Amino acid sequence: MLHQLVEILADGFVIGAIFALGAAGFTMIFGVSGVLNLAHGSIMVIAALVAWFCAEHTPLGIYGGALVGIAASVASTYLLYGLVIRPLNHSKRIADNERPVFVLTATLLVAIILQGVLDYAFGSSPITTPTLIDGVWRVAGVTIPYSQILIGVIAWLVLGALWYFVTRTRPGKAMLAASMSTTGLALVGYDIRKVQRQVWGLYGLLAGIAGVLLASFTGASSDIAISLTVNAFIIVVLGGLGNVAGSLGAAYIIGFLGTLTAYLISPAIREVPGLLALVLILYIRPQGLFGRH
Amino acid sequence: MFQQQQDRHFRRTLSITALALTGSLAFATTSQSAQAAEPIPVGVIGPSAHIDGRAIFQAAEMAVDEINAAGGIDGRKIELHKYDDQFQATNAVRAYQRAVQQDHVVAMTGVFLSEVGLAMQPWSGRLKTPLIISGAASTKIDQNTHAHYDRFKYTFHTFTNSTFIAKVACDFAHDVLVGQLGYKTAAIFSENAAWTKPVDAEYEKCLPKAGLKVVDKIGFEPNTTDFRPIFNKVQDTKPQVLMTAIAHVGAKAIVQWHQQQVPALMAGANGQGGSSAFWKATNGATDGVIVGTTGAAGAPVTDKTPKFYEDYKKRFGEEPAYDAYTEYDTIYTLKAAIEKAHSTDGAKLVEALEKVKLTGVSGPISFYGPKDAFTHDVVYTPGVTTGVYFQWQDGKQVAIWPPKLAQGKVKLPSFVKAAQ
Amino acid sequence: MQLKHLIHWRSTLVLLALIVLILMPLGASGYVLGVLTVAFYLAVYAMSWDLLFGYAGEVNFGPTFLVGLGAYGAGLSNSVFSIPVWPSVAIGTFLALVGGLVLAGPALRLRGPYFGLVTLVAVILLEKMIGLFSSYTGGEIGLTIMDVLTISNVGNFYYALGFMVIAAIALRTVARSSIGLILEASGQDPVATEALGFNVTKYKLFAFALSALFSGMAGALMVFYLGSASPGTVVTVFVTIQIIIATIVGGRRTILGPILGAIFLIVAGEVLRPLGQLSNAVVALIALLLLLFAPNGFAGLFARSGGRA
Repeated sequence: MLHQLVEILADGFVIGAIFALGAAGFTMIFGVSGVLNLAHGSIMVIAALVAWFCAEHTPLGIYGGALVGIAASVASTYLLYGLVIRPLNHSKRIADNERPVFVLTATLLVAIILQGVLDYAFGSSPITTPTLIDGVWRVAGVTIPYSQILIGVIAWLVLGALWYFVTRTRPGKAMLAASMSTTGLALVGYDIRKVQRQVWGLYGLLAGIAGVLLASFTGASSDIAISLTVNAFIIVVLGGLGNVAGSLGAAYIIGFLGTLTAYLISPAIREVPGLLALVLILYIRPQGLFGRH
Repeated sequence: MFQQQQDRHFRRTLSITALALTGSLAFATTSQSAQAAEPIPVGVIGPSAHIDGRAIFQAAEMAVDEINAAGGIDGRKIELHKYDDQFQATNAVRAYQRAVQQDHVVAMTGVFLSEVGLAMQPWSGRLKTPLIISGAASTKIDQNTHAHYDRFKYTFHTFTNSTFIAKVACDFAHDVLVGQLGYKTAAIFSENAAWTKPVDAEYEKCLPKAGLKVVDKIGFEPNTTDFRPIFNKVQDTKPQVLMTAIAHVGAKAIVQWHQQQVPALMAGANGQGGSSAFWKATNGATDGVIVGTTGAAGAPVTDKTPKFYEDYKKRFGEEPAYDAYTEYDTIYTLKAAIEKAHSTDGAKLVEALEKVKLTGVSGPISFYGPKDAFTHDVVYTPGVTTGVYFQWQDGKQVAIWPPKLAQGKVKLPSFVKAAQ
Repeated sequence: MQLKHLIHWRSTLVLLALIVLILMPLGASGYVLGVLTVAFYLAVYAMSWDLLFGYAGEVNFGPTFLVGLGAYGAGLSNSVFSIPVWPSVAIGTFLALVGGLVLAGPALRLRGPYFGLVTLVAVILLEKMIGLFSSYTGGEIGLTIMDVLTISNVGNFYYALGFMVIAAIALRTVARSSIGLILEASGQDPVATEALGFNVTKYKLFAFALSALFSGMAGALMVFYLGSASPGTVVTVFVTIQIIIATIVGGRRTILGPILGAIFLIVAGEVLRPLGQLSNAVVALIALLLLLFAPNGFAGLFARSGGRA
């Protein structure tokens, strides 16, 4: 029993941090641009697959591959924003009350396009990037690979850097403020468009890192894109849309709930309790667990 | 002007009549030469994005090119039509209909997933066009053909079914795992799919007889991407061997077995493990895994096998997966049947297929009849149609069983415990 | 006067299109009929979705929850319990109807993205259930069905066409009636509509029930046309996306537009089939371009050029 507990804690710790990274960017772009990006999972998968490909088939190695993967993710979020989101937000042919649905549908279409292209380029079989370091740590009858510990540490370092960035630096503070209220920020004299662009870039960076870490932890394939999106959606709804700290808490709740289910019942229904929790919470507290309204 | 037009009209009528006359005359004398130029369309279906699906397409292509280069079937070339089912039964059923109604294929071959095969089976009778399954294993396919012979007699199966796959695995376990390595316990490690149900049932019956006590049954969904919880549970019952029945599930099970350093040997039916693409997909984590498959490097299952293996590897740059052998044989089996029937008519092909007898690269090929329990499955000959068990050793396939094909002994991976 | 002329001209065109479709089996190959048969079922899903989205303003990402309940309800009745085709269709339709009322619950409480999320969750849960009971359902790959409506292409074509015409007439009649107006008003401002004395709950429930009835029955019929059911054909988010594309590309809030959209989508998919896995991506790209440059869809283009003439 003890070894299960240890492993659940170790797993939930890493999964929660990866989820939090992905969801933090997702919730920030909702705050800034009002976009629920249904291509979110696809962008994480782009980072994962490009990183895997470069690590396996080019001389760049694991670290170089990871960097290229993250760069690919940043490039895709910029393209998504510039080619799809901005034109739709400024189209005169769409009524304002229908705009969110159009943006939502467009990101769904982008998700399909990316899935097709990724399938074509990399195949649909799940991939796993080579481990960063070999070896296992044996503790309380459990074998925890060193690479898993390293992934958890990296994820938390990035989360820490994110926290420092949005609370201690000027451009970071502007982004956080923008994700809470764009009008307020505009009143203080910020160029909202520039801040929006920066947030999309930051989003690409976070989603990319999360995707690369996921690829080396549980593996990735183009098939999991939709469930990653839904997962992020659930986390930010639980955490309250636009609330970055809330989504960290929610990411851990979802992460542990899933891990507990996988270990104690079956990995096949890992996501189900999270989904049910979500429906339940929406009935009781429609603004989310940590939501502000 | 008008005169000219009438002239042309007359000449056309004349030439058509002449053509029709010669045509029917030729048809009356030798039906073959009239059709000489007309190719024979044959279908092949599978999931193109999967290692085993790709193997089906490549093997079919290779067999068709060989046959066409050697003059075709009675002088007619084979025209291969490929259909991607993308892992969906509905796609497969629609493709089968399109293949018969639009592309006029004389038979459909391939099929990797048993669920897809089971969904296509009723259509073989409705479309009256043979369905020759080379990749899907489920025993239920053959049982259906037996139970509803009139409706399903168009379905044939060139791959030994799940029950036989498990029987062979138990023979291997008896000789190697128990006989050579002295193991006593095993856990069944199988994906939840149509093809594994009969395997599990047979494993539970025959593993104890072979000398391995079944201490655990581990089932998981084929789309599982994280096996750590599963390997975590395995440690409760401490099996010495994980007897596999996996094909759909990706490289992940093996990668995490290696990463977690699970102290149990992995051996058994493994659908993707025969291909070097799988070695690459797992970054070499497959090292030490024992794979039961149709053929392997340098293992002469029949005298035709080594040449096929070499040609295939040269042409496609990877080892053939299990169903490459059987699909290659399927095309040659179909050729034999068409030659025997002197026709491409569905019902006549069924009669001819029932009588066909040839040696393929996967073993001797003939089919069970309507009275046998596994109607239209390829006949299983103990000691002959066993395929081969090999172990991945430093990136190479080393055959270890059956004894007459063995090239080496099992080498345990560093983290797998030897029997006391 | 001009408007009246335009309407007259358009209904003539619709009638003409219908006659062409009815006569289609005389000339078209079995393959073309088969492609159109699938398009007709997709058209019914899209029209049913248009009633909720275009009129009631519900961002429902779960049309396939209803379609899937109808399809699997009917398919499992036949394959597991050996119930004949038509009673199985009735069972599937009934299940979908119940599912529609279950979805209507959150729709009445939640707005915008939250309702969208719940419907998405409903679809994913249904997919999980199908996977979990794979020994009956065939899991992700699909269900084997023992019976079919008919194996004749012409027969199947007429079943689908007839059903689509009935659905189109029923849905368009409702959408054009005062019910449609009240739904539209409640979609834009539920409080004001309620204040005017309309029972919004009652109308929304009716819209959900009607949408569920037609999508569920279409799902059930399609299973017995295809002779198989796969999550990828009747449940997954990709089917939802096809429905959304068909509606938006065809022209939302028109009921008839989605028929054009569905035919476009299925035919484009067939034409692009040689591209293999890329075909879905290309169809999605075309839809995205339409969304960006012609957000009112085919029906919108048509109405505009008609207006000019």
